[in-house]
Amino acid sequence: MKCEEIAELLPDYLHEGLAAERKSVVERHLESCVECREVAGLWKKLALIPDEQPSAASRQRFEAMLQAYQTGRGDEGTSRRVNRETSIWNVFQWLRSPVGAVAWSIALVALGTFVGLQVGNTKSNSQDLAAMHTELTNMRQMVALSMLQQQSASQRLEGVSWTRREEHLDPQVLSALMHTLRYDASVDVRLAALDALSRHAGQPQVKKTVVDALQEQQSPLVQVALIDQLVEWRDTDAAAGLAKLRQLPNVNPTVRQRADWAISKLN
Amino acid sequence: MLQVRDGTGETLGVLFERYHASLYNFYTKLTGDRALSEDLVQEVFLRILRHRQTFRDGTPFRAWIYQIARNARIDHFRKSRPQVPFEPEMAPTVSPGDPAQQRQESELLHKALMGLPEEKRELLVLCRFQELPYEDVARLVGCGVSTVKVRIHRAMQELREIFHQLQAAPAGSAQRAAAQNIPPRRMT
Repeated sequence: MKCEEIAELLPDYLHEGLAAERKSVVERHLESCVECREVAGLWKKLALIPDEQPSAASRQRFEAMLQAYQTGRGDEGTSRRVNRETSIWNVFQWLRSPVGAVAWSIALVALGTFVGLQVGNTKSNSQDLAAMHTELTNMRQMVALSMLQQQSASQRLEGVSWTRREEHLDPQVLSALMHTLRYDASVDVRLAALDALSRHAGQPQVKKTVVDALQEQQSPLVQVALIDQLVEWRDTDAAAGLAKLRQLPNVNPTVRQRADWAISKLN
Repeated sequence: MLQVRDGTGETLGVLFERYHASLYNFYTKLTGDRALSEDLVQEVFLRILRHRQTFRDGTPFRAWIYQIARNARIDHFRKSRPQVPFEPEMAPTVSPGDPAQQRQESELLHKALMGLPEEKRELLVLCRFQELPYEDVARLVGCGVSTVKVRIHRAMQELREIFHQLQAAPAGSAQRAAAQNIPPRRMT
């Protein structure tokens, strides 16, 4: 057998994943081929490179980060568990709610459009489709807006994910999303809102909201996410806000460290 | 992981216990930089907390965590300058009882590994040191299993060549080769 043919078998041989028959084929080739034998030998020799142990500081940093996260999260865990237990009932309730009704409407409009196109196929023109598309977009944004104002965090989370379906957001939806980032009670919803807003950095208010939120947030996890976002945007104007944050007396050490890192990146 | 996803933050501690050392070794073998490796491990666990809602039941967890680890490293190099060459202090920490020849060979192997282009080194680290199945590696790097196998074979052949060069002239070649490292493209 030639080296090219062995090339496909050798990785499996090295991973000890070959059946006995094929294994012996490879071993016969290795006996006669110096190059492949060296490759196989080198694979085994790689075990000589020992594993390293991370420093004790690594664990301490992780624990500080986890503690910071849990402090920010507060007692949301309890309410989420209760929510999960009743999730099926919630879905049913949601379908009966006005928001659910809008969602159903969208589904029916989409279905109607599809059936209409299939039945009267040649009559539709591009203008009709464009109008239909605009209407659907508006309805989706309306659903997002309604869901962002729901009591349940999981529904607000769903509202944020609806906003991700649109490339251009209505000013009202954008404003609701920025409000969610600053004031929502749930860390998860605030993080999701930041994620959604990251796609709209071109809107003048978005970057300012993120910088403002930096000073307002109590959750270190959200603060770190905001800092990362500002670095991602390379928002040099944010350096002053970051410097202000790191000087706050009660700021979490992990957040302060992250702010220092961000300032060094932005300057 | 499902508990972490559903909000039990404490469970993340169990995942940290289980994975932080192997993630650290994944990074040290890829970057040759211990301090950066520790930073990146922290970043991975922070991302797990932030993106835990994206974890789906039935997804192989190791593949998911290494996807996060790859993206964290790629994002890091995208934000900052491409990486430092092999640090002399990153020579393997062989225990004092090891024979001198074995120690020397281990150092040369590590240098040869660092001399490989980033993409090939990553494949070898994932398959050989992290012992991920070829199927998981294929999913991670976004290609077919047979392509992974062919690439592994080529990476090993190149490693062999670099190793021979280093045996002949240990000092200069590794640094020249390490200077050619290029971070891979991000896979989504």
